[in-house]
Amino acid sequence: MKSDTQSDPRPAPAKSGKWVLPGLGLLQGLAVTGRNLIESFYKKERMTTIQYPEQRAPISPNYRNIPFLCYDDNPEAGLRCTACKICEKSCPPQCIYIVMDRDEHGKVRNRPKVFDIDSSVCMGCGLCAEVCPFDSIYMDGEFELATDDRFDSLQLHLDDLSKSAEYHLQLRPKQATEVLERRKADAEKKAAKAAAKAKADAEKKAKAEAEKKAAAEAESEPEAATEKNENEAPEAKKAEAPQQELKAEQPKEEGGGE
Amino acid sequence: MIALLILSPLILLAALGAVWKARPVHAALLLALTLSLGGALYIALGAGFLGLVQFMVYVGAVAVLIVFSLLITRPRDEVEEIARRPKSLLPGLLCTLPLLAVLLYAVGRNVPETTTEAVELPIKRIGELLFTTHAPAVLAIAILLTAVLLGAALFAREPSKKP
Amino acid sequence: MTFLIAQTEEPSLWSPEWLPLLPKRLVENLLEHFNAPEWLISLGGTGAGAATVLAVFMTGFALLSLIERKTLARVQNRIGPNRAGWFGILQPVADGIKMLTKEDIVPAKAEKLLHLLAPILIVVPAILALGVLPYGKEWIPVPMELGLLFFFAVGSLTELAVFMAGWASGSKFPMLGAMRAISQMVSYELPLVLSAIAVIMVSGTLSLPDIVSQQGGFHLGFLPAWNILTPWGLVGGLVFFIASIAEANRCPFDLPEGESEIVAGHMTEYSGFKYALFFMGEYLGLFAISGLGVTLFLGGWQAPLPGLDFVPSWIWFFGKLAVIIFFFLWIRATWPRLRMDQLMRFGWLGLIPLSLLTIPAAGIWSLLQRSQHGLLAWLVTVPLLLVPFVIMTVLFNKRLARSNRTYRFAES
Repeated sequence: MKSDTQSDPRPAPAKSGKWVLPGLGLLQGLAVTGRNLIESFYKKERMTTIQYPEQRAPISPNYRNIPFLCYDDNPEAGLRCTACKICEKSCPPQCIYIVMDRDEHGKVRNRPKVFDIDSSVCMGCGLCAEVCPFDSIYMDGEFELATDDRFDSLQLHLDDLSKSAEYHLQLRPKQATEVLERRKADAEKKAAKAAAKAKADAEKKAKAEAEKKAAAEAESEPEAATEKNENEAPEAKKAEAPQQELKAEQPKEEGGGE
Repeated sequence: MIALLILSPLILLAALGAVWKARPVHAALLLALTLSLGGALYIALGAGFLGLVQFMVYVGAVAVLIVFSLLITRPRDEVEEIARRPKSLLPGLLCTLPLLAVLLYAVGRNVPETTTEAVELPIKRIGELLFTTHAPAVLAIAILLTAVLLGAALFAREPSKKP
Repeated sequence: MTFLIAQTEEPSLWSPEWLPLLPKRLVENLLEHFNAPEWLISLGGTGAGAATVLAVFMTGFALLSLIERKTLARVQNRIGPNRAGWFGILQPVADGIKMLTKEDIVPAKAEKLLHLLAPILIVVPAILALGVLPYGKEWIPVPMELGLLFFFAVGSLTELAVFMAGWASGSKFPMLGAMRAISQMVSYELPLVLSAIAVIMVSGTLSLPDIVSQQGGFHLGFLPAWNILTPWGLVGGLVFFIASIAEANRCPFDLPEGESEIVAGHMTEYSGFKYALFFMGEYLGLFAISGLGVTLFLGGWQAPLPGLDFVPSWIWFFGKLAVIIFFFLWIRATWPRLRMDQLMRFGWLGLIPLSLLTIPAAGIWSLLQRSQHGLLAWLVTVPLLLVPFVIMTVLFNKRLARSNRTYRFAES
């Protein structure tokens, strides 16, 4: 290992003829820190300290800690969770406990009666949020969960975990807007389908009624009125057709308006 | 007089401890105590300058030198030290008691009849005396100390780097 | 005590100049009223005076610990402690309570008596040294004719106490730290005393009040006659202040107690109140030695301009002390730590020659000044100090400009 001349990281040494007053660098350093000291009193961008707990640092939208359940308008009726237990099965440390809600006859009501997450066990992996098919469980950014009770206060129940869709929008704008738009598009599609179906049903019903009426009139006036009836029937049919169309448009409007 | 009565036994006890104690560090610190009590005695006897200089030089430099050398060279511990001691006190007493008798005789012959109040020399006078009447002694000590300093620098010098 | 200076006349009780002496004079008047014997009056008066000084400097110590943290924080672009009371003013109280309520742990291998004595022996010299400084025209707790010598004598006791702290703890870090601390303190005591000797030579006296009164008066009508405004005084003053930073074990000379180097050096095995005593001893020692520097070189309680005599003299003293301590804080926030060999080299090869030079320079200066050759004094002393300084910087540059580092053992 020869003495490495090439890799000496120090700056090139001063020529021996040049005289430098030692200590000037020290004074330069004092000037820098002096400026720091004076400017720290009036320049706001120097002091980046955030005075916790009066102020809080903004958290990144990618930050995740423990999950929360999303509801649309009403914490009980609008809760999106249907207690399908997919998240419970996919949780690696098995910290979710779900019990399906049943009505008095024992029939399932697709919402959870008990939804417990043990926040001391939850490792924040986000797998439950990834697998949920009902846009119901998402990862929260809440980290100030410290309590002085070791066991019960760290268990979070349904009321603690339910948070509104507006909160989700505030927390993760991109993800929340995407989810809301998708849900709205799905709802519109569903409504359009329902309206089309209703229109088809209404048309079928009107057609059936028109045929019944035609049959009844045909029976009441057998010979002389047959021509009249035949003349009237297409007229009646024509008169009834716009009526039917009007009737058909009404349910369509109603379906579109929902 | 009161100061002398209080300080003398303390000095004697500290000096005995400094000589007797088996642990070197304790002995060194008791030596420092002895020297500082001696300085206090000088102050009580009216030689303030000398007392404070005693403090500064002996306690602040000599004692520190001794304890520093103790720190660097960790000396033998207590058990070995006690084991190295001679079994009986008689040879030591035979050497020191005659010396003590001679010293007491010499001091006793020169005790003045009346005790005078201590007159403290002003510092200016001390300085003048040092550098005029006693100048040769000061010079000799200065040369000695310079030689010591040069010798120490020579010993502590890094070996010259010859390729 | 035969070597105390006689006191001056005492005017009214309530003038601002006499304000700090109020407790002492109140106690003395009270005892006199009750016809107490002479020794009791003087004892009571001195006790009250000492209590005043202690109260002032303990408050100063508490405030300094807070101001240091906040100033260091501001330099580092952050806010210092501001939770314990308005702007953190109760932080020293919180620190004190913490230190008092901590468990006092003594290592099993430690020597108990020495371990206990060491912090006491560090605080006592600092407090003793605070007693001889002249804080104002009339405010000197213990006016001694040998004040300066007393100061240095008790200062040298600190080194022994550091050794005791290091040895008695019985573990590696304290012993190493004590070794380094003692060698540093002994090395830097020399420039300290040598630069003070120049002042003694010029003033002709060891008593600090006389040294201060000799720095009164103004040259050319407005320049104060402080010692630092003379060539030898400038060099001597700078050397003195640098050496006092080293004596107080502060950055950039705090290798013996730097946290990233050696835990806490000789104070490692101390907890709770003993550590608080070490801390207090260090800061009080800093006050004492900066106060001495102000007294010797910056004119003590003398006002800087002719018209400012109406301000009480002790305000000037504490103002100058505050400026010096602010510089020490600024330096602490800025410069990196010196390594042990750099430290020693700087002390022995840099400061001692300079301080040795100030002695003949001061002698020549005062002789020429006294024989009314003011200009000649400047013309002779400035080159006398400057030329060796320039030679030293040339040598220093040569040392820096060495070629690449060669490794003694790693070459093959």
